Amino acid sequence: MVVERQTRLAAAGLRTGGSLALRLPPSPAYIANLLAGWRIGAQVILLDHRLTAFEVDTALQRLAPQVVVEPGRITSSPLRVFADVEETVTPHPGRPAATAHAVIQLSSGSTGPSKVIGRTVADLVAEIDRYTRIDGVPLPGERIVVLASMVHVLGLVGALLYGLHARVQIRPPERLTGDSVLEAVAAEPTPATVLGVPFHIGLLASVLDPPVLPQLKRMTTGGELVPVATATAFVEKYRVPLGNMWGMTEVGVIATDLFGEHRPALAPAHGLTVVERGGELLVSRPESPYVGSSDPDRWADGWLRTRDAGEVDQDTGLVTIKGRLDSQVSVGGLKVDLTEVEATLGELPGVVAAVVLHDDVITAYVQLDRPATATTVQAGLTERLAAYKRPRRLRVLDAMPRTTTGKLVRDRSVLREAASAGR
Amino acid sequence: MSQGGVPGRDDIVAMIASLDGRSAQDVPDLIESMELAWLVHQVEQRYGVRLELDSGQYGRMTTISGAADVLREVIVMPDEHSRY
Repeated sequence: MVVERQTRLAAAGLRTGGSLALRLPPSPAYIANLLAGWRIGAQVILLDHRLTAFEVDTALQRLAPQVVVEPGRITSSPLRVFADVEETVTPHPGRPAATAHAVIQLSSGSTGPSKVIGRTVADLVAEIDRYTRIDGVPLPGERIVVLASMVHVLGLVGALLYGLHARVQIRPPERLTGDSVLEAVAAEPTPATVLGVPFHIGLLASVLDPPVLPQLKRMTTGGELVPVATATAFVEKYRVPLGNMWGMTEVGVIATDLFGEHRPALAPAHGLTVVERGGELLVSRPESPYVGSSDPDRWADGWLRTRDAGEVDQDTGLVTIKGRLDSQVSVGGLKVDLTEVEATLGELPGVVAAVVLHDDVITAYVQLDRPATATTVQAGLTERLAAYKRPRRLRVLDAMPRTTTGKLVRDRSVLREAASAGR
Repeated sequence: MSQGGVPGRDDIVAMIASLDGRSAQDVPDLIESMELAWLVHQVEQRYGVRLELDSGQYGRMTTISGAADVLREVIVMPDEHSRY
């Protein structure tokens, strides 16, 4: 499966030191192409399959890969967690890898364009090593029922790379339902860890009358804070630990609590230091993870600013995350920068002003000039932003509320009121 | 236990709202993919059915009314469904 992909990638021009852009839905094909690209010795750029053509074009222009793998025909039902996809492999006018990074990922930028993040082989190996030293990780011969996306670091390293290294079987559930996850756990007698994001806890916690599954060892999630009620509902129903993880694309896993003993606090992983400075959590990282541009605002002198607010307990060293310090929100574990959404809105023809905030869901308030309408704005957003980034509510106001100095008001109750008053 | 029958519009809104405890009036008309996965899961739990949706049917479930239409087709008329 992997060798076949190596042949195909090489035929498209991929060589050692080359660059490959990989954009596929969760699938055996994704894993095979990723491993094939690495076996060839190429740098692999991971693009989320949900990005729009507009976003993909922007990324390809910016990153200039030599070969691009994208989805062609998908023959499986859209309810399947892993797709049966026939990929297209296309040469692209690009350039060889400019750096020694093995994998390139894009993260939402808190301000401005998304950041290009690079992980070297040494970096990835160090993270796998960090995993092996965490109390509670799946052991050789055990299984991970994987719901976490393998395009993002939790699934990529926490499931795929750790699993390959530690001989842990990685298997997705057939469908994205609570019953299907439990079926995957029940499929074999060996201990299984379910790995996902808090949304997936909800799937399991809401299964009516689940079977008793002695092989369910634990469930672990990362990506977002877990509401207390959700954690309690899961643990009461399944009587296994609900593990917690915190990490960043730039670093991978930073701190964990796989027994759920310290919830919401977490213990920093071996080899990393976490400190708090001015209410923000910083994590040690010898080199900048950012490719192409240094950003002293985010990484300086061996410290990476996480933009997560939090505390470090002086006695126990446990880390507690309180929230976010920038405009990034998490939608089902996927990171969305509200500033990016707002900027995209502002660029659409006829949008006079826009404010985007998170009010249960991503909500946009706009003031429009003819001929723009809510419909044209939605169409523009659909073209330019992946679905998970798009506002779930769009409210057109005759005039945006402004402060006495003319700045846009961002207070959600003022905006809500303006919308319902039909202003 | 499953309630049988077919979920109507209000049931669909309630199921989507249950994802994060929102009130029904705060549920937008457009359904996004995480909500859709939640809806499928909830329908299977509450109505005791297993939904098999092809990409056409799935693609029509982007609004509350679209979802209501598809679920009515898929749940009420299993014989019709098997033709597709």
